[in-house]
Amino acid sequence: MAFDFHLMSNLTAAAEGAEHGASFWGLFIYFGLVLAIVIVALSLAKKSFGERVFKARPAQLVEQVYLFIENLCLSTIGPHGKKYVPMIMTFWLVIFVSNFLALFLATSPTADLSFNLAMALMAVGYVQWEGMKAHGVFGHLKHFAGPKLGPAFFIITILLFCIELISEVMKNVSLSLRLFGNIDGGHQAVETMNGLGMHIGGLEWLNIPIGAFLLPIKLLTVVVQALIFCLLTCVYLGMVTSGGHEEEGHGDHAHAH
Amino acid sequence: MNVIGIGIAILGVGIGLGLIGNGALQGMARQPEAMSKLQVNMLIALAFAELMGLLAIFILPKA
Repeated sequence: MAFDFHLMSNLTAAAEGAEHGASFWGLFIYFGLVLAIVIVALSLAKKSFGERVFKARPAQLVEQVYLFIENLCLSTIGPHGKKYVPMIMTFWLVIFVSNFLALFLATSPTADLSFNLAMALMAVGYVQWEGMKAHGVFGHLKHFAGPKLGPAFFIITILLFCIELISEVMKNVSLSLRLFGNIDGGHQAVETMNGLGMHIGGLEWLNIPIGAFLLPIKLLTVVVQALIFCLLTCVYLGMVTSGGHEEEGHGDHAHAH
Repeated sequence: MNVIGIGIAILGVGIGLGLIGNGALQGMARQPEAMSKLQVNMLIALAFAELMGLLAIFILPKA
């Protein structure tokens, strides 16, 4: 298949040889919409952050979201997970809002493989960076090589290293493809269901939008996929940064939360 | 032919998802206080099982 990709076109559409989905600037505009919603919501909530008790509704909502993400980080990464909250929170807000737009609009940033791949690359790159910060560059690479087996099993260590490297690259693919498949698959399912309800009984005017009844399932997908992306990033972060020096002593406190 | 392959793949994924849900629900029913931990692990397992179906859908038609 001819892979004819140039800037201004969409990576997914180019790979499929079809022209569907948003163009480069279309994606830009949709993402601008997502950012506008996030920034407006957060700046509305920020007004009452100075108070001792949050009375305004936006602040309460954002507090709940923050507690949810903090709880996720603490329970998945460990007691040192609090410093990763900003990154995970950013991912969650962007993915959740753009998934939510996918319920109402024809397309959304997360219904596009290019955008998801970019986000997955950021997440996995951040995981590598944090691993290098926690264990040093050499220590992080040693983490790939599995347990210490001694010189007799040198070949197995090299094999393990290669496999771990491949799985690290595949994390990008799985993170992005999962999100893309769920959101874009939802769109296609609605389209197909709408096609089922067209011209019922051979009547030109009788069109029933059956796809609208898929909205509850899509709502579930929206919430779960935003959670899963953040959860998996947390799990990867936890795998890479665990086994640190002073963390063992605090281990029991984490379970008390 | 591809459509049959996707159908078989999705059959396996469906069975896997059902098994995960079955196990998680049984665990939650036996031990409601472990619900939050079980839910998180269930979601991870669901994500991995689901990915197989998505891979089948997106890669099989092109092969």
